[in-house]
Amino acid sequence: MLNPRLIVPIFFTLSFSTGISYAEEVTSIAPSKIVYEEDYIGEVPKVLTISRLPQSIADSPSAVTVIDRETIRAAGIVDLPEVFRLIPGFYVGTNAGYVHSTNHAVSYHGLTTAYSGAMQVIINGRSVYSPLYGGVQWSELPLAIADIERIEITRGPNAASYGANSFFGVINIITQSPQTMSTSSNNSIIATHGNGRNEAFYRQAGKWDQLSYRVTTGFREDDGLRERNDFKRTRLLNAQADYRLNDLNSVEFEFGLVDGARGEGNINEDPILFLPRTKQINNHFQLIRWRHNMSETSDLTLQGYHSFDRSDDQSTSIDISTLFPGAVAPGTFINEKILVETERYDVEAQHNFSVGPHIRAVWGGSVRQDSMLAPHYLGTDKKDYFDLQRLFGHTEWRAHEKLLFNAGAMIEHNDFSGTDISPRMSLNFQPSPNHIIRIGASSALRTPNYLEEKFNRFVTAPTVFPGVSLLAQFYASKGNVKPEQIVSREIGYIGKFGRLNIDSRIFHDSISDHIRLRGRRAGDFIPPPGFVRVAGEADTGLNDGSAVIDGIEAQVKWQILSSTQLLMNFAHVHIRETQEGLERNYEKAMPNNTFSALLTHKFNSHWDASFAYYQASQATMLGDGDPVDLMRRADVRLARKFNSGKWHGEIAAVIENVFNHQYEEFADYNTLGRRARLNVSVNY
Amino acid sequence: MAGAFGLLVSGTAMAHGVTVVVSSPSTMNIEFAEQFKEELLKARNKHLKIKVINLQDGDQLIVDEPGELVVAVGVRALQLTSKLKANTPVLGVFTPLPTFNVLLESNKRDLGNFSAILLDQPFSRQMALMRIILPGSKNVGVLLGPTSGKYAELLQEAGEKSAFHIADEMVPQEADLIPKLRKVLEENDALLAIPDPMIYNRETAHPILLTSYRHQKPVFGYSQSYVRAGALAAVYSSVKQLARQAAEITLVQHSSGLLPPPQAPRYFSVMMNAQVARSLSVPLIDDETLRRKILLLEGPQNDELRD
Repeated sequence: MLNPRLIVPIFFTLSFSTGISYAEEVTSIAPSKIVYEEDYIGEVPKVLTISRLPQSIADSPSAVTVIDRETIRAAGIVDLPEVFRLIPGFYVGTNAGYVHSTNHAVSYHGLTTAYSGAMQVIINGRSVYSPLYGGVQWSELPLAIADIERIEITRGPNAASYGANSFFGVINIITQSPQTMSTSSNNSIIATHGNGRNEAFYRQAGKWDQLSYRVTTGFREDDGLRERNDFKRTRLLNAQADYRLNDLNSVEFEFGLVDGARGEGNINEDPILFLPRTKQINNHFQLIRWRHNMSETSDLTLQGYHSFDRSDDQSTSIDISTLFPGAVAPGTFINEKILVETERYDVEAQHNFSVGPHIRAVWGGSVRQDSMLAPHYLGTDKKDYFDLQRLFGHTEWRAHEKLLFNAGAMIEHNDFSGTDISPRMSLNFQPSPNHIIRIGASSALRTPNYLEEKFNRFVTAPTVFPGVSLLAQFYASKGNVKPEQIVSREIGYIGKFGRLNIDSRIFHDSISDHIRLRGRRAGDFIPPPGFVRVAGEADTGLNDGSAVIDGIEAQVKWQILSSTQLLMNFAHVHIRETQEGLERNYEKAMPNNTFSALLTHKFNSHWDASFAYYQASQATMLGDGDPVDLMRRADVRLARKFNSGKWHGEIAAVIENVFNHQYEEFADYNTLGRRARLNVSVNY
Repeated sequence: MAGAFGLLVSGTAMAHGVTVVVSSPSTMNIEFAEQFKEELLKARNKHLKIKVINLQDGDQLIVDEPGELVVAVGVRALQLTSKLKANTPVLGVFTPLPTFNVLLESNKRDLGNFSAILLDQPFSRQMALMRIILPGSKNVGVLLGPTSGKYAELLQEAGEKSAFHIADEMVPQEADLIPKLRKVLEENDALLAIPDPMIYNRETAHPILLTSYRHQKPVFGYSQSYVRAGALAAVYSSVKQLARQAAEITLVQHSSGLLPPPQAPRYFSVMMNAQVARSLSVPLIDDETLRRKILLLEGPQNDELRD
């Protein structure tokens, strides 16, 4: 036996399987804190409970593309919608419209209008889809790009999970959880300066006892396009906090505020009524969510939020006597207060659970009330209320290690279109771990928006003849519009070949009960006594026509080297009318071919660069849109990381449209050229 | 603490008993004492008298015979029993390796009569688990703190043997945890958690597991609890398995008077979190298959394959 005196002091170590080895001498100092068995085997609160574990892309019933922080950073974007150019099948167009439309147009598979209306957009479980025109005012979201953790884009209808208006797709934006940001106080400053662009944000994250929080505040100044009144000045504040009550319960809070001024008015499009002017926007929201871990296999989430969006626009027309000489007294102007106040209350409950190892399910329901005050559009000073209730359920059943079934449905009742059901089903077959074939069918509805259901928009002007006024009736909705329906069928393939990942699909979408606007005939619309109709189509929404959208799309991710990655997206989309009655240009409202690529390379731990390329074939967009030619754009970004102890961060230079192609987007009045900017972010 | 209980050793006869000293009457400790008794009964050894002393009940720490084995359950029990006379053999169970080294040194004990069944699973076993679950992976990230920092080299060696590149990152203070974690997750295929109270504790479980999940990277834990919390998988030893090993050592010590050197858990189980696996698109392998595959990789010195 060993002489005890010889082996003390000794440092015992553990190096191979069940054997033992002894290291030589111990010179290291014993840890200041004794490690107890609880440090190894003590209870740890359950973090990734079932509701926090969404389906993987392999198990998903539809095509899902994830854009993570790193991709957003590499793309070097300053406007959130720009990142959707990296999703196969998406069209993104800068647009400087003339009223309520100075924002990016974003569409998937068509129906491209100024309002991104055929997609549901959700930020941390909160729908930001506006019921007025449908769609999203991207620049008015109280959201800083720096706070985004990831964006999950469902390509294809997904009403069963996200409700109505998840028509062509769903954009689900997830911000960084304060819990993942810091265990102590952490500050960052992010600033951007460049052609027509100034931004600065300050961000603080921290933790007090069981409360983790993040606050972001800042401003954005965007001069917009050259020679256009489309500037945007925005101030925003966004805060998020997670409070852990105990191991089973946590409460999350979110708050956001955005205000600012917007340039609007486009003389090319409207030289009479909506002249260049400045409008004010003011939006805020509050959200509270309770997560309760009911058991090992089930979670309950209860969420409520309120949002309020206000847009206050004052327009003055030209002297309309110039249009009606002799009939209208000189010096007659039409002054319009274009006030829109949208308020939303929404409460949702969701129960996620699993039954055995092979079945996972989620079901829940929500109640929503939207109120709309829009005298200019609805022709009334009264608020209009829109109530919506929905029930949803979705089950995933792994019938076999290689076979997964998904089935779900949503039942929705709303004031505009009554009760409807949207089902979905899919089968994912995984013959080997690296290959998945997905066959699915999904349906969704698009509820008519206010434009299609309730607009009553007109302007009047007195004439020199007593008791006679001029009337321009632009919209005169008859209501009773049915929801537009989509049934999408697809075959998808997800494959992995070494360093190459492919996600592709062939799709066939049938659209019925297409909602369009049509001018009412003279006999159908009778002006009130004393008014003479001089302009306006008296448009009303109605269901007319059907379409089929066929196509193929793919995303390829190629990790060329450990430091070099290439992301490529391609889509071919073909729209055709199957029943007459579609809106004019409907078939052309999506480029037939879109392509995008993002090449990123890390030179070393300090330097990295990326090159982005975007291409979209010619198209003719709906609404205010026009025919636009093939667009090609190449962006470069060069970044250097720095770290000087307490301070670390990055300096990046971005040149957008390096070759200065003067291309048009969405409409012929949006011409884009080269722009450069510098971005600095500092953390301390 | 020592003063409160007194360290008494009485009698002079040959050892024919074993004293189990438990740190507290926790479910786990009580279960250990019961399983330990059962294992000894199974071995049909009727000569061993088993006495259980519970420190929290204020029981006097009286060991009847010099040379009689003391099984110290938990760190508090081991701290106290390490102060017993140097010729009293002490076997720690539920003993973290760093603590064993501290007590060995600070009490000038020698390995001939101061040993333990450690809580630390051998790195090679953890590497084997990762290799089986992630056959194509190369890079594994590790966060090391003030306690676990001294195992960096051993980890590298174990990694090499399993064809893993171990990227270790020192976390000098808690404020560095999240930035270092992000770095490790960005550059590697998985995170291997090595116990260190500064890095892995109740408070940091949320940020670590959430951040890893957001990066879509699996975490390999070191306990059942960490797997339930959201790690992908872990190798661990159950109370019953540790009791079985303790009983085996007790019998060896009883018959030979020799206490074997400190050792890693001999019997172990594997736990994989099916929900996490599904969500990360990691093929699910059942726990028993995983255990058997690890045993095969560990080689013939393991007789447990016969179980």
